[in-house]
Amino acid sequence: MKPEPEKLDDKAFKQELTTLIPHLRAFARSLCRDATLADDLAQDAMLKAWNARESFHAGTNMKAWAFTILRNAFYSEKRRSWRRQPLDPEVAEATLLSSSNPTDSLELLALRNALAKLPVDQKEALILVGAGGMAYEEAAAICGCAVGTIKSRVSRARKAVIEILESNNTGYNSDSGMSASRAFDDIMDQADEIAGAPTI
Amino acid sequence: MNKKKQTGQQKSDADLKRRGAKIGDQLRRIYEDVAQEDVPDEFLKLLEQADQKRSSGPADSE
Repeated sequence: MKPEPEKLDDKAFKQELTTLIPHLRAFARSLCRDATLADDLAQDAMLKAWNARESFHAGTNMKAWAFTILRNAFYSEKRRSWRRQPLDPEVAEATLLSSSNPTDSLELLALRNALAKLPVDQKEALILVGAGGMAYEEAAAICGCAVGTIKSRVSRARKAVIEILESNNTGYNSDSGMSASRAFDDIMDQADEIAGAPTI
Repeated sequence: MNKKKQTGQQKSDADLKRRGAKIGDQLRRIYEDVAQEDVPDEFLKLLEQADQKRSSGPADSE
């Protein structure tokens, strides 16, 4: 690594920002599940990042910087359409099924469904760290909170997801020490029910 | 279901860990599914437009 100049020139900035678009889309999709609204949000964040390029310091983490912009856009612009999320669980489920990858395995569907039930602060912490590969410190900077807070959100989110997945299957008894594979079969059964319901 | 009661807690901790790891794998897949999609042209077009607006608009420095 050679020492970098303080600022990237516009061309280098644009290049790096372009490589981040897939990540902006993935993070946006985790915040608002509707694919169209998520792309709307990701585009907005991309343009905001471009306009704020003067304030970006070369050599620092542009991904974390851009995620911060995206997250701020999501939370601060409450009137924007991407804040609208289906509250009715049936609508939410239909959205989930219609907008998700058709090759998703049933267990992924069950997990998506469980994620949708998490409080948004826990969900974003879990997504940033668990899916986006952010360090706790980066996630804390993005969410504007202490590292310890992120750690506890992630751990609560993990626990909650496991509980949601388990609570969906009636035969489960937590004292019985059921094997992970057995638990997974049950998750699959439960996902089967979900998949059987609506048509796309 | 003839598991020893005493090991129940330990067992469920291990289970929790295993399930947590599996969920981690799946989470990465959900994210990667989107991250690996082709970027819609609109993104690149918008960025290009913003870039051109800059060079043709009021240039305040350089």
